Amino acid sequence: MTMRSSVAESPSSDALPLEVRNITKSFGTNQVLKGLSLQARKGDVITLIGASGSGKSTFLRCMNLLEQPDGGDIFVHGEQIGFKESRRGREPMDWRQVERMRARLSMVFQGFNLWSHMTLLENVIEAPIHVLGKPKKEAIAHARSLLDRVGLLERADYYPAQMSGGQQQRGAIARALAMEPEVMLFDEPTSALDPELVGDVLKVMRDLAEEGRTMVVVTHEMSFARDVSSQVVYLHQGLVEEAGKPEDVLGNPQSERLKQFLAPKY
Amino acid sequence: MIDLQGYGPSLLEGAWVTVQLAVLAQLLAIALGLLTATAKMSRSTPLRWLATLYTTIIRGVPDIVLMLLLFFGGQIGINMVTDWLYDSYDIDVFVNVDEFTAGVVTIGFIFGAYMGETFRGAFMAVDAGQIEAGRAYGMNDWKVFKRIRFPLMMRHALPGLGNNWMVLLKTTALVSVIGLVDMVRVASEAAKATHEPFTFLLPVAAGYLLIATVSEWGLARLKKRYNAGFGEASAWNN
Repeated sequence: MTMRSSVAESPSSDALPLEVRNITKSFGTNQVLKGLSLQARKGDVITLIGASGSGKSTFLRCMNLLEQPDGGDIFVHGEQIGFKESRRGREPMDWRQVERMRARLSMVFQGFNLWSHMTLLENVIEAPIHVLGKPKKEAIAHARSLLDRVGLLERADYYPAQMSGGQQQRGAIARALAMEPEVMLFDEPTSALDPELVGDVLKVMRDLAEEGRTMVVVTHEMSFARDVSSQVVYLHQGLVEEAGKPEDVLGNPQSERLKQFLAPKY
Repeated sequence: MIDLQGYGPSLLEGAWVTVQLAVLAQLLAIALGLLTATAKMSRSTPLRWLATLYTTIIRGVPDIVLMLLLFFGGQIGINMVTDWLYDSYDIDVFVNVDEFTAGVVTIGFIFGAYMGETFRGAFMAVDAGQIEAGRAYGMNDWKVFKRIRFPLMMRHALPGLGNNWMVLLKTTALVSVIGLVDMVRVASEAAKATHEPFTFLLPVAAGYLLIATVSEWGLARLKKRYNAGFGEASAWNN
């Protein structure tokens, strides 16, 4: 697809926050994504589940181009990301468009990835000031209210290394919220946490879902998928095996593979 | 008290030359080092080769040989260019490289190669996830460099940079061979004239030691700044 963004569908208020069509991706000769599509309407919470190697994290990382998809289209609020063919393969036509788009899709990582040389507050105000160009005072006021929300206001001046994993991840969610994103992308946000810290993070995510945030979540937390999401997508070997409402996909799985995936492991 | 026999002011002037020379050469070395590290990590094969050629030559040839080569060879090269400009285009330019500029350029050029290796290792030690987080939040390459990669890299580079600076400071003594009047040159001339080597060389040794001590203090402050967020327990702290 080499259409310029200016002639693509023009953004409008009722445009989908995020739509991806027919995403493909190979690493070497190994095709990990074999044509995946997803539509996130405003307020949707879409959970991607599947075994390791099913391609769910790669799919999520293609949505904000941390991985370059080999094929397929990406629309953020109706604006299409332009691609071109180069010697190195397919790449974005205009990196500034990609940067603009990324600023509207905040990502929360499995390994938190807070900037270790900045305090928690500095982490939260960094991108609003240096990417969105927000005035510092305003960014700080907003950051403090977000830190209060995730229960970390008294940790504002701590460095990431001085906080527990659960606190770091809640801090990372505050950093994501500070961008006032169109869609939030969560890449296995609780997988690196000690079991007793998972609950706090899931509670924050549940609150976000309830206030109508649009979220795409890669997770192994089946209770979160069942209780919170509006749509569950089960991936197997780079393809959608089943998708739909959580009560259907998780409550009444059709394929053998999904039945096995959901069965108690011990 | 040592009687400097009237050479005191000259020695101080020489010391000031040493300090200026070292600081400017170090700044040039840092700039060249960053460029070299970037080139070595780039996807472009010619850039990687060029950087490797630079570090291999510089690190394999003695400093004093390089200094003489660059100083005399550099002037000859410039003369050839200006002669060619005059013969071919009737453009008359006269460029005379003074000893101070030659000293700064030569020492900066030599130590840029060492800094390049220091920076390359330090860049590779930076957590890729934090760089990715910068990109994921819409930063362009320059902002990621300025706000994230550079400050995180400096924590790993500072021990090597500190070492480099100490060696560079002492290497400035070599500039006396190209005729620059630094602290060492003044002392050796005074020693010859008065036949009292210790009277002049001991204050020079003390002068270097003083500059080195002040540097240690400055480096400790830099370490504190770039080590923020990594805790007192960090093995890197000393």
